[in-house]
Amino acid sequence: MSSDSLTPAQIACAALSAPVALADADSRLILYENAAFFELFRKPEVESDALAEHLTQVDWDKAERRLSSGRAYKADIDLGGDTRKSQQQVELRFIESGGQRFLLAEGRDVAKQREAEYMLDSYARMAEKNAKELSREKERVEKLLLNLMPRTVYEELRDYGTTTPERYDDASVLMLDFVNFTEMTVAREPGALVSELNDIFSAFDRITELYQCERIKTIGDAYIAVAGVPDQGDNHAVHLARVAVRMKRFLEKRNAAHSNVWQFRIGLARGSLIGSMVGIQKYVYDIFGPAVNLAARMEQLCDPMGITISQGFRDALDDSFATSEIDELEVKGFGKQRIYSLDFEKR
Amino acid sequence: MAQSMFEKYGGFAEVRKVVSAFYDEVLDDNLLQRHFVGVNMRQLIDHQTKMISSLLGGPAHLSKEELARAHRRREITEEDYDRLCDILDETLDDAGFEDADRDAVVREVENLRSFIVE
Repeated sequence: MSSDSLTPAQIACAALSAPVALADADSRLILYENAAFFELFRKPEVESDALAEHLTQVDWDKAERRLSSGRAYKADIDLGGDTRKSQQQVELRFIESGGQRFLLAEGRDVAKQREAEYMLDSYARMAEKNAKELSREKERVEKLLLNLMPRTVYEELRDYGTTTPERYDDASVLMLDFVNFTEMTVAREPGALVSELNDIFSAFDRITELYQCERIKTIGDAYIAVAGVPDQGDNHAVHLARVAVRMKRFLEKRNAAHSNVWQFRIGLARGSLIGSMVGIQKYVYDIFGPAVNLAARMEQLCDPMGITISQGFRDALDDSFATSEIDELEVKGFGKQRIYSLDFEKR
Repeated sequence: MAQSMFEKYGGFAEVRKVVSAFYDEVLDDNLLQRHFVGVNMRQLIDHQTKMISSLLGGPAHLSKEELARAHRRREITEEDYDRLCDILDETLDDAGFEDADRDAVVREVENLRSFIVE
């Protein structure tokens, strides 16, 4: 067929950059293919004109089902070779003309679309990975901050960027320090000493947590914990008394098993206090007030490995604890006070 | 924290245009296109997206070891690498990157030369 006899429509079709082929609807033999189709899909080693033998990446079973229900079928074809020319989408559909049915195969370059999709995939994966890392980091920071302050205070700080000091009318405070710690710091090897202190305080932390009490801070060899802050339960004194008794039991067992003996003094008191974040850049949650001061006095009056409690604290205990009166003493800032020893928890 | 170039030039919405333009230019380049025959498109785009995002301080980090691994046995010459640097510089210029920022990116790419050129 010379180009003279081609209609304008045929000339246009032949010159299209999109690959197009027309096959007989029944035999599926190619009746016409344009240059683009020939270059992209015609397999030189295949003599047959059967469309299926040239479009081998099409799932023909699926295509036939779709076509027989009167719909078009689209197949993605990766031609390999030059990366950008390799991505084609071929649409198969029946068309009718002059009472005859044909199967039309029409290709479309989807390289740019794929490129955009792949880029988006790549970015989405990067973003998801980052989001995961960020969320892990957030958890780590949260955990760290929860070591510095009670959860409710942390949540207030997180949500509002600030916290307000709060007064607690009835809270229990535990003050602990070690006998002769200053001498130990001089006499003992610092690494080993701190390591032992760390072990003991870590155990105390676990005990404190077990009874829903809150470790406020440690200063040197002093350990301060509180109950009833920020959640004001009825029996916070009981919880804190259990903590003190278990700390004692832990340390006694530890001393029996180690050559270095540690002896504490514990003071427990009950009263009002204020809990607040202190500091702006280097902030820390701290407690102040009568209950804190009284606990400190109780601790000073305590014998090694003893637990000294104030009258108010004793009044809050139930009969599951054995206590004994030590003395009635003038306590600085609190006047005459009966003080007691917390001896053990009855089984 | 200082703003990264990735953020400065409009985040992924803009950076993707840089990736796309760079990809086109590299694949059209007579000297470089031989490296891309038969290369998996998805992997190539993934790599270039990460590479450019990482160079601009975006949400990706490609280690020098990863780069070396990705380019191993690709027989990339000094001349190829020079051309790649030029194309990247031009692409960033077309995308409106300031001179100082372009210089910084090209310097960074220059630092990676020994991991990529054989």
